[in-house]
Amino acid sequence: MTDPRIDNLARIMVTYSLKVKPGERVAVMGSTLAAPLMLACQRELLRAGAFPDLIPSLPASQHLLLTESSAEQLDDVSPLQRTIIENYDAMIRIASLANTRHLSGVDPVRQRQRMKALSPLSKIRFSRGARGDLRWVITLFPTSAYAQDAEMSLEAFEDYVYHATFADSDDPIAAWQSIHDEQQRYVDWLKSKTHVHVKGPNADLKLSIAGRTFKNSDGDRNMPSGEIFTGPVEDSVEGWISFQYPAIYLGHEVEDIRLEFRGGKLVKATAGKNQDFLNSIIHTDAGARYLGEFAMGTNRNIDRFIKNILFDEKIGGTIHVALGRGYPETGSKNESAIHWDMICDMHNGGEIYVDDELIYRSGSFLI
Amino acid sequence: MADTRVINLAKTLVNYSTKVKPGDKVAVIGKAIAEPLLLELQREVLRAGGHPHMLVRLEGSQYIAYTESSEEQLKYVSPMQKMVIEDFDVMIQLFSDCNTKSLSNIDPALQQLTAQAQAELFKTYMQRSASGDLRWVLSMFPTTGYAQDAEMSLEELQAYVYSTTYSDSDDPVAEWNRIHTEQQELVDWLKGKKQVVVKGPNVDLTLSIEGRPFINSDGSNNMPSGEIFTSPVEDSINGWIKFTYPAILRGREVSGIEIQLKDGRVEKATAVKNEDFLHAMLNTDEGASGVGEFAIGTNKRINRFIKNILFDEKIGGTIHMAFGAGFPECNSKNVSAIHWDMICDMRDGGTIHVDDELFYDSGEFKK
Repeated sequence: MTDPRIDNLARIMVTYSLKVKPGERVAVMGSTLAAPLMLACQRELLRAGAFPDLIPSLPASQHLLLTESSAEQLDDVSPLQRTIIENYDAMIRIASLANTRHLSGVDPVRQRQRMKALSPLSKIRFSRGARGDLRWVITLFPTSAYAQDAEMSLEAFEDYVYHATFADSDDPIAAWQSIHDEQQRYVDWLKSKTHVHVKGPNADLKLSIAGRTFKNSDGDRNMPSGEIFTGPVEDSVEGWISFQYPAIYLGHEVEDIRLEFRGGKLVKATAGKNQDFLNSIIHTDAGARYLGEFAMGTNRNIDRFIKNILFDEKIGGTIHVALGRGYPETGSKNESAIHWDMICDMHNGGEIYVDDELIYRSGSFLI
Repeated sequence: MADTRVINLAKTLVNYSTKVKPGDKVAVIGKAIAEPLLLELQREVLRAGGHPHMLVRLEGSQYIAYTESSEEQLKYVSPMQKMVIEDFDVMIQLFSDCNTKSLSNIDPALQQLTAQAQAELFKTYMQRSASGDLRWVLSMFPTTGYAQDAEMSLEELQAYVYSTTYSDSDDPVAEWNRIHTEQQELVDWLKGKKQVVVKGPNVDLTLSIEGRPFINSDGSNNMPSGEIFTSPVEDSINGWIKFTYPAILRGREVSGIEIQLKDGRVEKATAVKNEDFLHAMLNTDEGASGVGEFAIGTNKRINRFIKNILFDEKIGGTIHMAFGAGFPECNSKNVSAIHWDMICDMRDGGTIHVDDELFYDSGEFKK
């Protein structure tokens, strides 16, 4: 028998996140380390009447592909992968790396070439995803590599993952349903509001959300989830914000970041560590100096920083903003090659005013 | 770095057995436990200029499929599986079960259902294989499951597998080329011959090979290999044979089999153990009590019985016959749902005369 929490996580993704229907074709992707979860997904998908395809990959395969391939081989896109992206109804992606730094020594030029070769597939995935033709959810299977990043034992990390996903609760689906309902209340309340003012020891930031939509991230695409997010009006952001957690991008950690905006544009960016990297990323393109996302994390079971953005951006009692690309479904128009989430703690007296009404204080909603 | 024998086996499969060319689409299929060999195969296919597609299977997945699926789900053929059979150039498949008895308690009717659903695809596979459009090879990655069947330690089985495939020699491809040449001389000599008389302590049999070419099994489709085989003229087989090793079909073992044949049909079949199963199988259909194959095993490094037919039928100094389906490329007309190989030791004074000339004596060729 497998860990019952693994079966629960599989059930959450199949019946709650993806709402799989009989006859649907569903691909389950992850590394072979995630075998217990992949098999549990297969069982749940069969019980839901679907046609599951397990696509396990070997942890060392990606490095081998990137180092041994000719230019032509790097450009080759698997027809099998294409079939999934073009024809399948749903996809479960399981982050399950054996080593989160396995590609550190690979020539970035080759990595970019590979990403470029795969970008037509990404486009199809996004457009079918936006139309609802290809539903997808991403989760994480606890491995030693992620535990190490989190500075935890594997056992403690497993507890953390299954707690954050509510897979350790008696009725995980009811738990997610109640998160959905609660967040939907906030999202509905925020409809057609215009001005947001974040105030507190870590921020004094004003932005407009006029005509922008807040999205309820309730576990349909990220498991765990627990956030509401929007894209602020690009030229409306004024003031400063500082981030209490390291911001991680492409494997680089930047600590103690403070950003200052005027007319929406980033005018000052300082960091306690890795200032050079911060500078280089914000100069990627024009959009990299504007905000693409403003969001509030709501998941109370996510209560510590583990250096994994799937979890960290949902820490209950934090907000995060992202430099760079926004989500079109929020109304964001910001375009950029980057999307860099940075997390600001609100527990210690942080306040959010919307259209001059105090709606949030010290990590809790007041509405 | 991997075991050099694993690297050698990968090289043999890619460069000798399937002769991967630049641009070839290559499916590499095996269980996750075969990771070391799978990765070396990926590397060798890349170095040969091919496009490797790593189709990794999870131990336990088949069991879940059989126990959880509806009839409709059992009959489902994945578009990815279809694509490999219909469009790929090369297929490298590895026996790599952790447990060779994992499906022992599955209702055979369910397995039949899956086999029926894939019959169309299997036909395409046979056609593309015969025309040379799909090159394929079957090999083994040693696991504790196979070691247990062989009554060996894993280390001993590894030594056995890598010895019999010549992966432990300096130049395995040269060894296989030599075997090819030696066997080709035998196959060429047998061309146009008619009458075969097999005699010895375990056998007294006559059969006709008129118009039935022998095939040189030189490691192209099976690794290891080392046999020459044909399908005898269906109604020509007369006499008696005792199979000195247990015959295994669908995980069931029958030992002490003796069979009397008259005009190509089983006249009497007895066994010391599991005689009922023997009779049931020979009554599967009309062709099941006819002979589909007559073959001579030549691999001297395969010198013990390990309960795995990929190896056992090639034991140097044995012959084997199969009841059931014959080979179209040998002009066989025997059709059946089964193909059951049974092995007879010839080293203790067994002889084969072809058109009255001594061809083989006590396990050695005389031509």
